[in-house]
Amino acid sequence: MERTDVINHLTAIFKKVFEKQELVLTDEMTANDVDQWTSLSHVILIAEIEKEFSITFQMRDLNKMDNVGAMVDLIISKL
Amino acid sequence: MAFTSFNFLIFFPLTVLACYLTPANKRWITLLLASYFFYININPVYAVLTAGITLSTYFFARWMDQSGSDKGRRRLMITNIVLILMPLFFFKYFGAVNNGLMSLLTGIGLRWPLPEISLILPVGISFYTFMAIGYTVDVYNEEVKAERNPGILALFISFFPLVLSGPIERSGNMLPQFRNIGRIEYSNLTTGLKMMVWGYFMKLVVADRLGLYVDVVYNNIAHHNGTSLLFASLLHPIQVYGDFGGYSLIALGTARILGFNVMVNFNRPFFSVSIAELWRRWHISLIKWLTDYIYTPLAFSMRRKGMTGIVIALLITFLISGIWHGAQWTFIIWGLMQGIFLSIEAVTNRKRISLESKYGLNKKPYYIIFNIVLTYILFTSSLIFSRSETVQDALLIYQKIFTAAGPLYIEKTTLIYSLMGVLMLFLKDFTDEYFHGRFEFFANSSIYVRFASYIAVIFIILLTGVLNGGQFIYFQF
Repeated sequence: MERTDVINHLTAIFKKVFEKQELVLTDEMTANDVDQWTSLSHVILIAEIEKEFSITFQMRDLNKMDNVGAMVDLIISKL
Repeated sequence: MAFTSFNFLIFFPLTVLACYLTPANKRWITLLLASYFFYININPVYAVLTAGITLSTYFFARWMDQSGSDKGRRRLMITNIVLILMPLFFFKYFGAVNNGLMSLLTGIGLRWPLPEISLILPVGISFYTFMAIGYTVDVYNEEVKAERNPGILALFISFFPLVLSGPIERSGNMLPQFRNIGRIEYSNLTTGLKMMVWGYFMKLVVADRLGLYVDVVYNNIAHHNGTSLLFASLLHPIQVYGDFGGYSLIALGTARILGFNVMVNFNRPFFSVSIAELWRRWHISLIKWLTDYIYTPLAFSMRRKGMTGIVIALLITFLISGIWHGAQWTFIIWGLMQGIFLSIEAVTNRKRISLESKYGLNKKPYYIIFNIVLTYILFTSSLIFSRSETVQDALLIYQKIFTAAGPLYIEKTTLIYSLMGVLMLFLKDFTDEYFHGRFEFFANSSIYVRFASYIAVIFIILLTGVLNGGQFIYFQF
């Protein structure tokens, strides 16, 4: 899967989890940039990503996702 | 020694001077010696405990760094956590477990003489133990490298501005600062002093004055009517904010003077529009710690359960927070109430957001004020439990609030002084919250306004502060 494909899939998940249809993902985007992206919704987001891409994250991976760019890289490394 | 003690007023300037005179690469030694002196001043034996926790954490972290297998690293992490939690459990929960066992055995007709040991909790142990656990987990997660210099790690765990009641700092923020301690700078000195002055104001004028009223009412629940109990209960959250928020600000200020940036612990909590927001503004360092090391691993392990997993993780996390505050039912109920409030908010979150955006409620002042008041009332209702000696007392307070109205107990001087302090505190928080950068006093561009406000606040502290007051509330935790 290409990086742009991953971002497209990820955008759909973000829109669904945070209920924000106008959301546009950027590599630099962090939880501070999205109102609803809290420690509660982060776990739901992770579960949705795992389901969509059929991958499994380790607890340790959570700390590596400093921003959306790092998240995309991590997803690609697991595909 | 406490920040409000006379000894501290001598100790701190001398420490700053000593740091100023020490060459850069030796400053950590000066600060480590100062920190241990500060702690030994309370009780020399307790410093042995701090040193023990430091040594154990140092060696296990180093072994973790050298261990090749993840299994081995995990085992080392768990061993150290268990080891360093043992003193905390012993000092904090031995009495409760002992009494519980005794009453259980007596209940089933057995008389088993267990040794009765009365222990005084070493002040700060919950705070620095949590910092040591955080470091251990961070090394395991490869977030930070194990510190090679045991002195730097010892300084992290015993750093005197934080050792008594936090903020519960992270190794990722503090270790790099300890490895490279800068000079004493004029700008840090002034910023830190301003924080300290406002911290002393919050503690001595607001908290300790309010405490005089709240204590009188709460120490004699049977005597006071529902109106006075309600009024005291509504003042109590502000007392705790003044006490612990004030302590935290003094801690931040002392650290800043020495050149360190420490995380903020309170951020105008009473302007929160939900309990979730309140917990992002109240005792921030504890909630961040609980989120990273308890809530997230729990929620992550139950992530396929969806909202149910989140609710279970929230309840367990706040139950642990309650138990951390003390092995009493009052604290456990307090913790569970936070968990329940947050769970209700989490479950109804989507509906609330869609309603708010549909009617543009978030910008309507009446909606914001309603939520601020509701959040305050919910939080107050939980603090009635944590402030009460027993659950029965808390229930009696509730009963009286709803059934025994009467004339308000008034102690004029205490109330006038404390409400004046509360008004000043809220005015400052209000302008910082909604008019940031305007109506500045301590940070005014005019030097005259700045100095007039420093002098005014210092005078208010000296004239109306409770200078012979008690300890900080959070020393008991």
